[in-house]
Amino acid sequence: MSLLRRALWGLLLVVAAGCRSEPPPDGITVLVEAPPDSLDGRFALTAIGQRMVQLIAPGLLTFDDTSRPVPELAESFRALSPTLVEFTLRPGLTFHDGTALTSEDVKATYDGVRSKALQSPKVDRYAPVEEVEVVDDRTVRFHLRGAYAPLLAELSLSIIPAERAGLDGVALQASHPVGAGAFRFESQPDEEHLTLVPFEGYHLGPPAIPRLYFRVVRDETTRVLELLKGRADLVTNAVSPAVLPLLRKQPGLRVLVRPGTGYAYLGFNLRPGPLADVRVRQAVCHLLEVKPLAEHKFHGLAEPATSMIPATHWAYTPGEGCRYNPAEAARLLDEAGYGDPDGPGGLPRLRLSLKVSTDRFRKSVALVLQEQLARGGIAVEVRSLEFGTLFNDIRRGNFEMVTLKWASVIEPDLMRNVYHSSNVPTEENHWGGLNRGALMDPELDALLEEASQVELSERKAAYARVGARLEELLPYAPLWHESSVAVVSRRLEGFEPSAHNFISSLARARKVGP
Amino acid sequence: MRRAASAVIAVVGALLLISLFLNLVPGDPIDVMLGEEASEVDREALRRAVGMDQPWYAQLWTFSKDFATGELRTSLPPFQKKVLPAIGAALPKTLQLTVASLLIAVGIAIPLGVAAAARKGTAVDSAAMGVAVAGVALPRFWLGPMLIIVFALWLDWLPVSGAESWRHLVLPSLTLGTALAAFLSRMTRAAMLETLREDFVTVARAKGLHPRVVLWKHAFRNALLPILTVLGLEFGTLLGGAIVTEKVFAWPGMGTLLLTAIEKRDYNTVRATVLMFTLCYVIVNTLTDVAYALVDPRVRRRS
Repeated sequence: MSLLRRALWGLLLVVAAGCRSEPPPDGITVLVEAPPDSLDGRFALTAIGQRMVQLIAPGLLTFDDTSRPVPELAESFRALSPTLVEFTLRPGLTFHDGTALTSEDVKATYDGVRSKALQSPKVDRYAPVEEVEVVDDRTVRFHLRGAYAPLLAELSLSIIPAERAGLDGVALQASHPVGAGAFRFESQPDEEHLTLVPFEGYHLGPPAIPRLYFRVVRDETTRVLELLKGRADLVTNAVSPAVLPLLRKQPGLRVLVRPGTGYAYLGFNLRPGPLADVRVRQAVCHLLEVKPLAEHKFHGLAEPATSMIPATHWAYTPGEGCRYNPAEAARLLDEAGYGDPDGPGGLPRLRLSLKVSTDRFRKSVALVLQEQLARGGIAVEVRSLEFGTLFNDIRRGNFEMVTLKWASVIEPDLMRNVYHSSNVPTEENHWGGLNRGALMDPELDALLEEASQVELSERKAAYARVGARLEELLPYAPLWHESSVAVVSRRLEGFEPSAHNFISSLARARKVGP
Repeated sequence: MRRAASAVIAVVGALLLISLFLNLVPGDPIDVMLGEEASEVDREALRRAVGMDQPWYAQLWTFSKDFATGELRTSLPPFQKKVLPAIGAALPKTLQLTVASLLIAVGIAIPLGVAAAARKGTAVDSAAMGVAVAGVALPRFWLGPMLIIVFALWLDWLPVSGAESWRHLVLPSLTLGTALAAFLSRMTRAAMLETLREDFVTVARAKGLHPRVVLWKHAFRNALLPILTVLGLEFGTLLGGAIVTEKVFAWPGMGTLLLTAIEKRDYNTVRATVLMFTLCYVIVNTLTDVAYALVDPRVRRRS
């Protein structure tokens, strides 16, 4: 046997010896689709960044599945007046570095994020806060410039040690974050990996999971294959509905579903054009069959929406949504001057364009909408654009219809940003503002302002009035609320998915088996 | 000297192109950094702070200066980390992957190509070339998951993704190397067939040398030149293919770095990564030229 052949056999033997199944790591592995933008809560804007930050450094409040603020580091909170909110911290709170968490840290965190020097993207959210006052070690008060009920939604910002709250603490907090959360930062060797360990001093007791590994796996197929191989324990909202039936059949996996707070809609441009006429918008709405779309495209993992607010939300009031009624749609179009030129079929009554991102799934949904509207005589041209271009077009009002979604609707005051006439993007405000369809309605403006100022107990009624007015104006055709889906391995017990895709229940979950 | 000049032109050209294109890309990095609800005053302040208010050529100059001095930082405040350490960590990973794929490609292609040429027209030839056509036709985003399903799920021999050990390298380099192996084996076959027709091969055979010696020592050595040229050129394709392969296998190399940078609109990292890709390509092409001289004394004498 030649030397070369002998060397080849040797190599093969080594490879074969190495080819054995690896035991899974000693903790729980969570796969995410992109790295966190920041581990510092004052800078984290992406859902992934914010979810990780919550585990390391939670805030005074968090939100339950009905989107109601509930105490986290705070033990309780109460409004002393419309412009003054008082928080009492839980007793004996400590940071991961062993120092005590007091009202001073809360004040320093909020003063820091509000300072222009820090350049936090969240600075504007705290504009309504005039001052944060320390009453004693466990009591802190927020003085507001005016009545502003949505403030509570912003008080989930992670609390960090006072010495890191300024500009000179930013680099340290980003690279080695410290907080009072259930898990302590252990290492982040590169952007693709993050390891957390249980914090012994966590106020609800140390988590039972021995170690938490986050791994970035960008490719959806690879995430699914890692789950099938048993090398991943948790993937939340990063697997398409079409794959879930396969995963449900796996003995080693469970698929957990919870109604979600994301909101998908068909947005109209109300600037001069056919859609400026509310009858045309109503006709479009009556031609949509949302229920079968939700059932087939999402395999039942989406609920038809009647408004931005999902049925599980504290501010929800039942509404009409888009009821399928082609006869009514035809009547409305006739009335609006878009009669059928040559009877059913043939030439369309009206031509519109629909812009959508390049995401394959979103595109396929747009094609179904196109088909549904075509049946009612509205010819729709679907244009799929790269996100940068799409976003630019929408901001500049360069669209007729668009399908987009709000990732998570927690605070209904989002409606003021989206529908108030002062938030129309224009050249003067450099195309800022979220009222991209240019809805202008003084009555709605007044209702939205009222809802942001009334006391907590009156807000639900105020948003019911907002909802009723929106149904008349129809600036968006509501589509659906996508469910929150977690694929969990049998090794991970006690994990509860959240309506907002939070993963904070990992603090109460445990690892079983090998 | 001429080689060095053309290498510099290639690098500068790539840098100019990427800067121009980045300038044309829709979507404002400032939106990504500040979120879409930020005020215009903040946007302007940030634009000045990161130098995005400058024209593209001024940005390019600052970039080149910072890159050369190692002072280049990510564009996103406030954690403006140095870019070079990230490249320093990612580049060896990508080189590992490309070199391993290259070895796999050469290891498969050369025996296959030589065997096909030596037994032209036989079943061996048809089988080898059939495999080669399949290898060229399979897209990486399909082949990758298929290899995972067979070797990681069914046989349970190898891990699905990641980069913890040499075992994690096997599937990505197989995926990346297959197309090259297929292409290269066809090249090898063609080059060998041509050489086998040369007079010196007939002479070698007439001298009564062992067929294996004729095949490998006389014919193959002379067929190496076109094979080397293709290898040098295909290295660039491998680097490009590494981006897709790294995504499928969650391999933390330059492709992953580039994707993350593009998602974040981190222009400095995008520019630096593309520049490194260009540098690698230029260096490999120069090395190919040197290898010509080593393999073929005629080239040495001419130069």
